[in-house]
Amino acid sequence: MASLIPCPHCGRRPKEEFTIRGAALERPGPDAGQAAWMDYVYLRDNPRGAYREYWHHTSGCRRWLVVSRNTATHDVTGAEDAAAGKGGKA
Amino acid sequence: MPEIQIPAFRVASRAALGSKTALRSAGISIAALPEGHVIHVLGEAGGPDLAPLLREVTGGRPHAVRTAGPAQWFLVGDEALSAAGVAAILAALPPGAAGVDQSHGRVRIRIEGPMVERVLAKGTAADLAPAAFPVGHSTTTLTGHIAAHLTRVAEDAFELMVLRTFAESLWDDLATMSGEYVLQAADRA
Ligand SMILES: [Zn+2]
Repeated sequence: MASLIPCPHCGRRPKEEFTIRGAALERPGPDAGQAAWMDYVYLRDNPRGAYREYWHHTSGCRRWLVVSRNTATHDVTGAEDAAAGKGGKA
Repeated sequence: MPEIQIPAFRVASRAALGSKTALRSAGISIAALPEGHVIHVLGEAGGPDLAPLLREVTGGRPHAVRTAGPAQWFLVGDEALSAAGVAAILAALPPGAAGVDQSHGRVRIRIEGPMVERVLAKGTAADLAPAAFPVGHSTTTLTGHIAAHLTRVAEDAFELMVLRTFAESLWDDLATMSGEYVLQAADRA
């Protein structure tokens, strides 16, 4: 497991300060249909390799981040504010 | 419906760390700070840096304005504020910013001495080196398993601000973390 997360607001912090929400997926449109929503809400891949997840910096800045990590090598390749990734303001 | 009997019960205000004795030694000292005021200010996401304005609002007292994550600050002081005093500060905030009085919810502990970085480094992974964490810098981080807001107020002094119900627990952790330096000092005495 990746153990140091480079929070864009706080710097490198141990994973114990975070809560992992799970895969950062593209949200389907409201009219996407039951199958797409079933997939989005319940079904997850379990990839060996690159993975993008929502992490909450619970014991730090309390911002939601998108952390890119590799489940095989434990390398963390990036962490950005989740709002910034959606074109919002961090 | 039976009449409800409420027993006579006097509500008394009790300092969160009232039962703790300040710890003093050559290497490290720990003291509870006055339960003054703490106001949490939340600005607009991506909005302007409110720190200069907030410093004006707090009269320019040193370390009265502390960053608390993006677009968030704590206004901190030793004096307890009246409802009118809090209202005056909230009224001075710009439109789009909100303030919440946290004075009774957060408690401050001062820890200082030449060993202060070594003591705190036992509890947090935040980089405490003066270059990365200069005087005036603040961050929220885990100290042991308790999240606390940490501010360097002098070269060898930090303040920890913690949710009130965690204060005693954090105090005990800090005392344990400081133990080796206190004992060393006692040996030499
Ligand atoms: Zn953070």
